[in-house]
Amino acid sequence: MLDYYNVTELLSTEDRQIQNAARDYLDSEVLPGIKGWWESGEFPKHLVPDFGEMGFLGSNLPSEYGCPGVNNQSYGLIMYELERIDSGLRSFASVQSALVMYPIYRYGSEEQKKKYLPEMAKGNLIGCFGLTEHDGGSDPGAMKTNARKDGESYILNGTKMWITNGNIADVALVWAKDESDTVRGFLVPTDVPGFTANKIEHKMSMRASVTSELVLEDARVPASAILPESNGLSAPLSCLTQARYGIAWGALGALESVYEDALKFAKTRSTFGKPIASRQLVQDKLVDMVTDHTKGLLLAWRLGEMKDAGTMDYNHVSVAKRENVRAALKAARSAREVLGGSGITLDYGVIRHMLNLETVDTYEGTRDVHTLIIGRHITGENALV
Amino acid sequence: MSLNIIVCAKQVMDPETPLSAFNVDEAAKRVVPAQGIPPVVNGFCENAVEAALKIKEAAGDATITVISVGNDFVMDVMKKPLSMGADQMILIQDPAAENLDALGTATVLSKAIEKTGEADIIICGQQASDWDNAHVPLGISEMLGVACLSEARSIDLGDGTVTVASSRSDGYEVFEAPLPCLITVNNEIGQPRYPTLRGIMQASRKTPETWTLNDLDLSESDVSPALTLSELFVPASDRECQIIEGEDEADSGRLLALKLREEKII
Ligand SMILES: Cc1cc2nc3c(=O)[nH]c(=O)nc-3n(C[C@H](O)[C@H](O)[C@H](O)COP(=O)(O)OP(=O)(O)OC[C@H]3O[C@@H](n4cnc5c(N)ncnc54)[C@H](O)[C@@H]3O)c2cc1C
Ligand SMILES: Cc1cc2nc3c(=O)[nH]c(=O)nc-3n(C[C@H](O)[C@H](O)[C@H](O)COP(=O)(O)OP(=O)(O)OC[C@H]3O[C@@H](n4cnc5c(N)ncnc54)[C@H](O)[C@@H]3O)c2cc1C
Repeated sequence: MLDYYNVTELLSTEDRQIQNAARDYLDSEVLPGIKGWWESGEFPKHLVPDFGEMGFLGSNLPSEYGCPGVNNQSYGLIMYELERIDSGLRSFASVQSALVMYPIYRYGSEEQKKKYLPEMAKGNLIGCFGLTEHDGGSDPGAMKTNARKDGESYILNGTKMWITNGNIADVALVWAKDESDTVRGFLVPTDVPGFTANKIEHKMSMRASVTSELVLEDARVPASAILPESNGLSAPLSCLTQARYGIAWGALGALESVYEDALKFAKTRSTFGKPIASRQLVQDKLVDMVTDHTKGLLLAWRLGEMKDAGTMDYNHVSVAKRENVRAALKAARSAREVLGGSGITLDYGVIRHMLNLETVDTYEGTRDVHTLIIGRHITGENALV
Repeated sequence: MSLNIIVCAKQVMDPETPLSAFNVDEAAKRVVPAQGIPPVVNGFCENAVEAALKIKEAAGDATITVISVGNDFVMDVMKKPLSMGADQMILIQDPAAENLDALGTATVLSKAIEKTGEADIIICGQQASDWDNAHVPLGISEMLGVACLSEARSIDLGDGTVTVASSRSDGYEVFEAPLPCLITVNNEIGQPRYPTLRGIMQASRKTPETWTLNDLDLSESDVSPALTLSELFVPASDRECQIIEGEDEADSGRLLALKLREEKII
């Protein structure tokens, strides 16, 4: 790992082993295919069982539910390694782990945990998380999707937008308002009548990830599909906190990838008889990348310590998500520049990462929304609403 | 019957170390470890672990013990065989291990194998990527008085026997030997499995046992090198690069072939 301040030294033997194992596996088995999948707009679904076998799915959840039970540093490092290959792969793992398995673990019944978690950890079942709707994703409390009780079942109606894994999911965690206007989570099997997933085409970002619209038209689920402990918007927001933690790590993986490409290119590319790496303007860009990566790694590492100690709150996560993703996006744009014309083709990972990171900067709370979350926390003034 | 499988594994400098980071101290006649590039488990030794795991899967009941001799073990690295699924590990860590030659290493390893009790199958990587001598496994089999089956591409367990297909340059030969025996493997036995998170977490609860030469009733003089290294140097390379340009890819290929023939390379 790119590690200018030797943060690795602060990690445990297992953390380092886990990162090395993930990197070895991903470099050999996944990296060679990513350009092709991205270009053809295809998610490599065949890898999901391998991700399960490696332990990438729900890795920080306990072993009693068939999960590896690693700490949050290791969890973050896995996200780092996945996103070093492609943000779409990390998105898949984030959604499966932090946005579906975590809420089942946190808000689900024992029966739901036993039914879903071991199979999801193996990659035998895929989940998606349906919170955002067509209007104003930044304001999920305004959701229109609703659940009406009908005897022993609930009837769901509404439309969810921009849902990662939507078309490949076996189970959709749909957030909907019940009759008392309380947001509740429903585990909707994607084969129930009234549930449709429509793949969003023509994306110029996250092309190796499936993004969908979910339509619920009188979709009937038994009352046992409800996550019993989910009562209110704080439930889905707490899941986002988990996922954003992973993104704070993941973005640095993408940053490492674009930096390594830029550095290699700069050392071998010559203009006016000298390698461009010898130019102050190019060095300035490379130095910014390394500095941002170093700062980001310290943020992520410290956040991991706080998460393991139980002292991390969502404001802390907002700082790292906001900062690290923007740093990665800036680095990708700058690496693209260093590569000159070569930077616009998929022969290098740079433009792919750059375009992916546009999504990462937007989803899980846009940069501006995180600014307003942190701003509210430090000033006591709510500029968000 | 529970099978005891021993795997000998060596920590080596990463063979992927870039040439620019590879340095030799000619006066001390030793390789200077590259800064910031961690060592690795020798590749063929990982193949040996994989072979042992496959035998264990086939046999159902087996214990895999990994043994290594060295002086500067890096735990992140050496725990890899345990993370892959080996049951236990013994590290023979001794300052005297710094200067072992193949004979000394074989002496230490065979003593250690004897100390573990009844070994049924000993599996070694065919050679280590640091010096590529391929001497140690032969030494161990000689000292323990067991058959040595080299370069196995497949290993089939029979009733008190083992059948091994050994790679040869023009095909393979099939041998059978009674247990106990020693088998060497290379990459042809199959790609080593990746350590999984669950495997790493299980391995985190296992602490390798550490022995010294003393524990094996060996003194430094028992393992003093029989070979003397007289000179160690990086050969000067006068590589030059020539770019062959043609009108298109096919033309470049044709010109390259002509050039190679001219140079009598093909
Ligand atoms: C590829 C991809 C995958 C996704 N996957 C999922 C998923 O799996 N599940 C899911 O539920 N959602 C998912 N999303 C949705 C994502 O979370 C939303 O896109 C995000 O929350 C932003 O919502 P929006 O797109 O509706 O933009 P809007 O909320 O409409 O925001 C538009 C702009 O307005 C700004 N803005 C909004 N409100 C304010 C304010 N109060 N003050 C100042 N500025 C403001 C924003 O910062 C932004 O710049 C995904 C999105 C993408 C692109
Ligand atoms: C889609 C596309 C269409 C094009 N069409 C044409 C065309 O029709 N005809 C044509 O002739 N060309 C065309 N080009 C080529 C284009 O003009 C070059 O890509 C551009 O001049 C940059 O050259 P380069 O890609 O070789 O990058 P390089 O020159 O190798 O530059 C790489 C990086 O190094 C930096 N750099 C270079 N020299 C220095 C220095 N001295 N000091 C500091 N920094 C330096 C650059 O700013 C850049 O960031 C096209 C390119 C693209 C991408």
